[in-house]
Amino acid sequence: MKSSLPLSPDALALDAPAGGLSSYPPSDRWHDWSEYDPKEWPRKVKKRYGLIPTICFNCEAACGLVAYVDKETLKIKKFEGNPEHPGSRGRNCAKGPATLNQVMDPERILYPLRRAGKRGEGKWERVSWDQVLDDLAARIRSALKEGRKNEIMYHVGRPGHELVYNQRIWHAWGIDAHNSHTNVCSAGARTGYAFWHGYDRPSPDYANAKFILLLSSHLEAGHYFNPHAQRIIDGKTSGAKICVMDTRLSNTASKADYWLAPWPGSEAAVLLAMCNVLIRENLFDRDFVSRWVNWPEFLREEHPNEPQSLETFIEILKQMYAEYTPEFAARESGVAAATIVEVAHEIARAGSAFSAHIWRNAAAGNLGGWQVPRALVFLTALAGAIGTRGGTSPSSWDKFVPAPPLMPPAPNAWNEMMWAPEYPLASFEMSFLLPHFLKERRGKLAMYFSRAYNPVWTNPDGMSWMEALSDESMVERHACLTPTWSETALFADYVLPMGHASERHDLMSQETHAGRWIGFRQPVLRVELERQGKKFNFTYEAHREAGLGEVWEEDEFWIELSWRIDPDGALGIRKYFESPYRAGEKLTVDEFYRWIFENSVPGLPEAASAEGLTPLEYMRKYGAFEIEGNCYGLHTMELSAAELAGSTIDPATSEISKNGAAIGVSIDGRPCRGFPTPSRKLEFYSKTLKEWKWPEYTVPTYIKSHVHRDNIHFERNEILLLPTFRLPTLIHSRTGNSKWLYEISHSNPVWMHAADAERMGLASGDLVKVETSIGYFIDKVWVTEAIRPGVIACSHHLGRWRLQENSGGERWSSALVNLTQDGQGEWKMRQVHGVRSFASGDRDSSRIPWEDAGVHQNLVFAVQPDPVSGQHCWHQKVTVTRASEQDHYGDVQVDTNKAHEEYRRWLELTRPAPGPENLRRPPWMIRVYRPRPEAFRFGG
Amino acid sequence: MSDKNFGFVIDQNRCIGCHACTVACKEEHDVPVGVFRTWVKYVEKGAFPDTNRHFGVLRCNHCDAAPCIEICPTKALFRRADGIVDFDNSRCIGCKSCMQACPYDALYIDPNSNTAAKCNFCAHRVEQELSPACVIVCPTQAIIAGDLAEPTSKISRIVAREKVSVRKPEKGTEPKVFYVGVEGDLLQPSRLVAQSSYVWAERRDDAKTREDFDPLQTREVYDVSHSTRWGPKISAYLWTKSIAAGALLAPAILLELTRRAGNLFTVVCPLLALIALAATSLLLIFDLKRPDRFYYLITKPNFRSWLVLGGYILMGYGALATAWLLLGAITGAVPHLLTWCTAAFAMGTAGYSAFLFAQAKGRDLWQSPLFLWHLLVQSVTAGAAVVLLAGVATSAPMEVLRDSAMLLFAALLLSAAMVLAEIALPHATEDAALANRSLVKGQYRTQFWGLAVGAGFAVPIVLSALFLFEGLTVWFVIVSAVLALAGLFGYEDVWVKAGQVAPLS
Repeated sequence: MKSSLPLSPDALALDAPAGGLSSYPPSDRWHDWSEYDPKEWPRKVKKRYGLIPTICFNCEAACGLVAYVDKETLKIKKFEGNPEHPGSRGRNCAKGPATLNQVMDPERILYPLRRAGKRGEGKWERVSWDQVLDDLAARIRSALKEGRKNEIMYHVGRPGHELVYNQRIWHAWGIDAHNSHTNVCSAGARTGYAFWHGYDRPSPDYANAKFILLLSSHLEAGHYFNPHAQRIIDGKTSGAKICVMDTRLSNTASKADYWLAPWPGSEAAVLLAMCNVLIRENLFDRDFVSRWVNWPEFLREEHPNEPQSLETFIEILKQMYAEYTPEFAARESGVAAATIVEVAHEIARAGSAFSAHIWRNAAAGNLGGWQVPRALVFLTALAGAIGTRGGTSPSSWDKFVPAPPLMPPAPNAWNEMMWAPEYPLASFEMSFLLPHFLKERRGKLAMYFSRAYNPVWTNPDGMSWMEALSDESMVERHACLTPTWSETALFADYVLPMGHASERHDLMSQETHAGRWIGFRQPVLRVELERQGKKFNFTYEAHREAGLGEVWEEDEFWIELSWRIDPDGALGIRKYFESPYRAGEKLTVDEFYRWIFENSVPGLPEAASAEGLTPLEYMRKYGAFEIEGNCYGLHTMELSAAELAGSTIDPATSEISKNGAAIGVSIDGRPCRGFPTPSRKLEFYSKTLKEWKWPEYTVPTYIKSHVHRDNIHFERNEILLLPTFRLPTLIHSRTGNSKWLYEISHSNPVWMHAADAERMGLASGDLVKVETSIGYFIDKVWVTEAIRPGVIACSHHLGRWRLQENSGGERWSSALVNLTQDGQGEWKMRQVHGVRSFASGDRDSSRIPWEDAGVHQNLVFAVQPDPVSGQHCWHQKVTVTRASEQDHYGDVQVDTNKAHEEYRRWLELTRPAPGPENLRRPPWMIRVYRPRPEAFRFGG
Repeated sequence: MSDKNFGFVIDQNRCIGCHACTVACKEEHDVPVGVFRTWVKYVEKGAFPDTNRHFGVLRCNHCDAAPCIEICPTKALFRRADGIVDFDNSRCIGCKSCMQACPYDALYIDPNSNTAAKCNFCAHRVEQELSPACVIVCPTQAIIAGDLAEPTSKISRIVAREKVSVRKPEKGTEPKVFYVGVEGDLLQPSRLVAQSSYVWAERRDDAKTREDFDPLQTREVYDVSHSTRWGPKISAYLWTKSIAAGALLAPAILLELTRRAGNLFTVVCPLLALIALAATSLLLIFDLKRPDRFYYLITKPNFRSWLVLGGYILMGYGALATAWLLLGAITGAVPHLLTWCTAAFAMGTAGYSAFLFAQAKGRDLWQSPLFLWHLLVQSVTAGAAVVLLAGVATSAPMEVLRDSAMLLFAALLLSAAMVLAEIALPHATEDAALANRSLVKGQYRTQFWGLAVGAGFAVPIVLSALFLFEGLTVWFVIVSAVLALAGLFGYEDVWVKAGQVAPLS
C-alpha cells in the first residue's frame, strides 16, 4: 500500500487509481525495491534497486527525479518522476527520462583535462584534481592578495549551484564575481516585472485561472515547462480559456483558444490596446487599482496641479491610452481589432482569475521589449489579478531559499566588467558584452570559470567570444566546469567534469505554483553506496568506486579550492568553509545541508521527526519538501508589531519606513507589507526611470522595435528573423549527449510562410543564405502556414559543432566543422560532415539514423543590448536569398570587426550612470549578489 | 482466467506533443535508436492565421482481435488473460509478418536481438500493479491506462461518456487505444501530405513526399520513420515458389491431358521443382531476421498462421516431388495417384501465399479475392515456361514443346486478364486504391507496365501465338518463356512493393 504521509496532497489527489494500477513504488520501500527486468520479460527475473530522489539538471524547472540504482552493478537503470515533489508531482517532460543518456553517455568527460596545445586546438591531457586545484588556488590567491578582485569571474549558465549558496563563495572571497546568462535570456521580462513590483518574475496560478494569456511557450519550454504545462492544462480542463501571443505557431499556441500572431515587437501595442478597452469601458478593478497602484505618486509628480484623486487619475489614464485603439494595435500587429477586443473582454470577465506570463518571447527579441511585460502587468493590475487565486503573483511568494550556514558579509566590490556604467538599470550582468569589454581593454581576467555555460555557442557573436577566449592576454586562465562537452570548453585551459543530475548536491526551489517547496539534488551513487555501509570524504570517491571516473561536484570543489586559496586562514576566507559542527575542520557537504535542513526550513525538522528521521535523512529519502501551499495576497499581510516598532508613516505617501528603508505601506489604515518598490505599491509610474534619464518611459508605453515593420524592406529581400524559439525536447547545449532527444529533433530549418516562399521561388529543402549585419548562415527552408508572412523563424536549439573528429564534442549531436580565420576578423565555418555513427560501448552509436546536426545561427548575430534592460534583442533584420553553388548547408561566415562596430552602435543608445547621488544603480532594484551599499556609489 | 481487459485512453485535448512518453518508453525498455514503441505524430491544417497543429500518440492498440497474433508463426506474440498483447522475443524468428499484419505500424525489428518488438503495455510493471512508464511520465496526464472490463474505472467511464475514436476500426481488429479529441486526418495516414523534411527532423522514409505545398491539405509535419518490411527476398520467394509449384503442376496437367510421358516429365521437371523449392526455402530462411531459429516453425508452431501451414505444404510438396523423381527415375513413369496428389500440393504451394498475404491485414492490396486464383495461374505460367525451356534443353519432342507452349499461352492470357481485372475493378479501400495507383501511374508504373505487363504478358503472348499459330521457329517460344519468367518476377516484386505503399501510421 502507498504510504500517504509525506506525499504531497497535490500528488495524492491527482493519483487516481487506474484499473488498479498505481503510479509509483510506495516510498516506504524505496530503499530496497525489486522489479521485473523488462529486458528479460516475459521471463520473470527480478532486479533490486535503491530508489533515490534527485533533481533534473536540464532546464531550470528543477523537476523531481527518482534514480533506480541497481544494487549489484551500481548502474542507474532509469529515472522516473518523484511523486513527492510538489512542483513536478511525479511527472517529467522528455528531458527527465533522457537524463539516463546523459549519465551513461559513452563520450562523457570522466577526468580533469588540461589543454596540450593552443587554446581551441582541441588537444587534451589528463591531469589530477590536485594539480588543477593547486594551480587555480595559487592564481586566485595572488589576484586576491594583489587587489585584482575584478579579475576573477564565475560565469554560470545554471541550473543549480546558484543563489545564496553560490553567493557565499564569492562574498567569502570578498569579490563581485558572479556572471550569468540572464541578459541573453530573461532580462527584458525581468525588467518589466521589476519596475512594477520589485520582484522580477511572475508566478501565475494557472490551475485556478479562468483566462490564461501567454506570451511564452510554457507547454513546450521555459520557466517552468513541465510544472507549468501540468497546471495550464489543468486550468484548461477546468474551463479556462487560453490565449497565446506568438508570431510562430508554437505547440503552446496550438492548444490555445486564441492564437494571436503579431508582427514581432508590436506586442506592447496589442496589450495596451487591451488595457485601453478595459479602461474606456470601465471594466477594470477599480478597488484594486485604487488601493495598490501608485497613482497618487504619479499625480503628485506629473500632475501636481490637478485634484489628487482616483477620478483624476482615471480621466488622465483614459486620455493617455486613448491612442492605443484596437485599430491602431491591429495596424501595428496584424492581429484583428475585433480579436483584441474579444480577448480584452475575456480578461475582464476572468477578473482576478486572470493568469498571464511573458518569458523571453517579445521581451527577449526587441529593442524596448521590457515594456511588453510592463504592459502585461498593467493589464493584470487592471483586471485586479495580482496575488489572487487564479491570478498572477510575484515569483518570490512561491519560492523558498533556505539560508545556508556561515554567510559572509557583502563585499565592497563592484565589477564593471559585468555591471558596466552604461547600463545602470540592466536586469543582470552585461554578460554577452564581455568579449567587447575585453577588446576595449576595460580589464582582463586572471581567472575565468565557465560553468554549465556555453557562451561561444549560446550567446550572440560567438566568433568574438572565440577571439577573446583564445587571447591569453585577455583571459589568462579559463577553467570550464561542466558535465558535458561544449564549444566553450574547446577554448578552456582546463575542462573539469562536474556531476550531472544524479551526481551532485543542490538545493532548488522554483515558483511553479501558488506554494513553496524545496527540492534536493543529490549524488545518488554516493547515497546508495553509503547506505550499503561505505563512507566517503568526497563524492568523486564514490563515483570512482561506482565506475564513473573522477566526476566531482561543485560544492566540494569550492570548499576545497577555498581551503587551498587560504590554507592558514590568513585571508579570512577559510572560516566560511569550516564545519559548523566541528570547529576549525573542513566543511563537508553532509554538514552543509544538515545545517540548512535543521535550521532554515520551517516545518522540516518536525516532519522528519514524525517519521523518526533527521531532517537530512528525510531530504535524502524524499528529495523534496513542501513548506506551504496556497500562497496568495502576501502584499496585504500586515507588518508585525516588532517590525512596526520604531517605524514612521509618511502622511503624504502612506509609506512605512524604518531606519531609512521603506518596509510597508498603509492601506485603509492597515500596515501592509506591500511590494519591494520605492512606493511599496505597484508602480504604474516609475520615478526611478525619470531620475535615471528615461522620462519618456515612466509609464507603460509601446516602444517601436528595431525590427518594426517600417524597418524591413521586402523589396530588398529583407525579412524579419525570429531566432529564439525552443523545442520541447532540447535545452540549449546541455542535451547534446542525449541520443533519445536528438533522435526526435535534430534539424532547425528556416520556417517560411508559403506566400513568402512562393514570392522567392523557394520550396521546402531549398538552401537559403540568411544575412545579418555581420555575416551569414546557410540553412534549408521549411515552408509552412504556421508563421506570419514576412517573418521567418529558426530554432536556436540545433547546430552543435566540434573541431576534432573524435574529441571535444558529443558525436550524437554535433557536426564536424572546419573553422578558419582569414586575415583580421573574417571567420568561416564549414561542415565537414554531419552526425555520423561511431564506435563506442553503446551499440546505438554504431547505427545513428540521423545525419543532420542543424545550423548554428547565433554566430551571425551582433550584440544588440537594450539600453534600459540590458537584454540582448535577439530579433534580426536579415536578407534572404537563394544559396549559390558555392554555399554549403551549415556554412557560417562572420566579420568580427563589423560585430564590434555594431556593439559600438548599440552602446550609443545608452544613458550611462551615475544617477542621482553619484549612484551606479538604483539601490532598490534587484542586484544579484548584492555588494555593500557603499559599492553602489562611484568611488565608494 | 483474468477478468481484466487493459486498454489506453489518449486524451489529445490534454496532450501537448512533448514526446515525454516516447522517451520514457525508450528508457524503460532500452529501445534502440531508430525504432519506437510509442511515438508522437504532428499534423498541421489550415492557412495563416487559422492554422493549427495537432498531436497524436501512436502505438500498439492491444487489439482484442489482434492480427499479429494470428499471423505469428511461433506464438511469439500472444494475448495475456488481462487483454495485453505481449510478446516473447525468445520465440521470435524475425519473419516480419506481424509487421504486415498490424494495420498500425506498431511493430519493429529490434536491431540488437533481431526480433520483433512493440508496446507491451509494460506488462512487467502491470504485473506489479504499476502503470506503464508512458502513463506516469506524462506531464498532463493525457494517457490513461486501465481496465475496460471494470465499468467504474476511469478509462471505462471516459470510453462510455466521451466521444472516442480508434484507428482504422474497419480493419475489424477491435483496437483498445481510444482517442479523445483527436484530429480525424491524423488517424488516416493516407490522407496526409508531407514535405521533404519535418519541422525539426529529417524525413527518412520517402514514400509520402509531395513538394507542392497546399494549405488545403492536412500536412504531416512530424513523424518517425518506418522501414519497408518485405523486400526483394520475398518477391524472389514468390517467384521461385511459382516455379517450384509449376514445375510439377504443368507436367501433371500435360501428363493427364496428353499422356505423353518421358524423361522430361519424370526426371527433369521434379528435379527442377526440388531445386526451386530448395531456393524458396532458403529465401524464406534468409529473409528471417533470425535464420538460426527457422526450425521454430516446426518446434513452436502456431497452426493458425499460414506461414506454418505453408511450411507444412512446402514440406509435403517436397516429399511428393522427391517420390515423383525417384519413381520417375527408377520406373520411367509416375503413378496417377502420385500425379494427382502432387498436383494438389503444387496448387497448395502456389496458392497458400494468398492466405498468408490475407493475414497481412495491414496491407489492403493483398486482400484481393483474385490473388489466390492468380497465384495458381502464375504457377502454371511459370511451370509451362520451365517445361518449355527444359524441353528445349533436353531436346524433347516438338509435340511436347507445342503442348507446353499452348499451356503457357493459355496461362498468360488468363493471367493477363486477371491483372487487368485487378487494376480495373474498383478498390474497396483508400489504401488499396493508393497501392493500385502506384502501379498504374505512380512510382512503380515503369516496372509494372514495362516489365510485368509488357515483357511479362504482351510480348510473350504475341511470340507464343506466332510460334503456335503461324508456325514460326521455336526461338519465338523460347524467348516468350524467358520473358514470361522475367515478367513474373517483375510482377511479384512490384506487387510486394506496391502492397506496402500506403502508410500504416
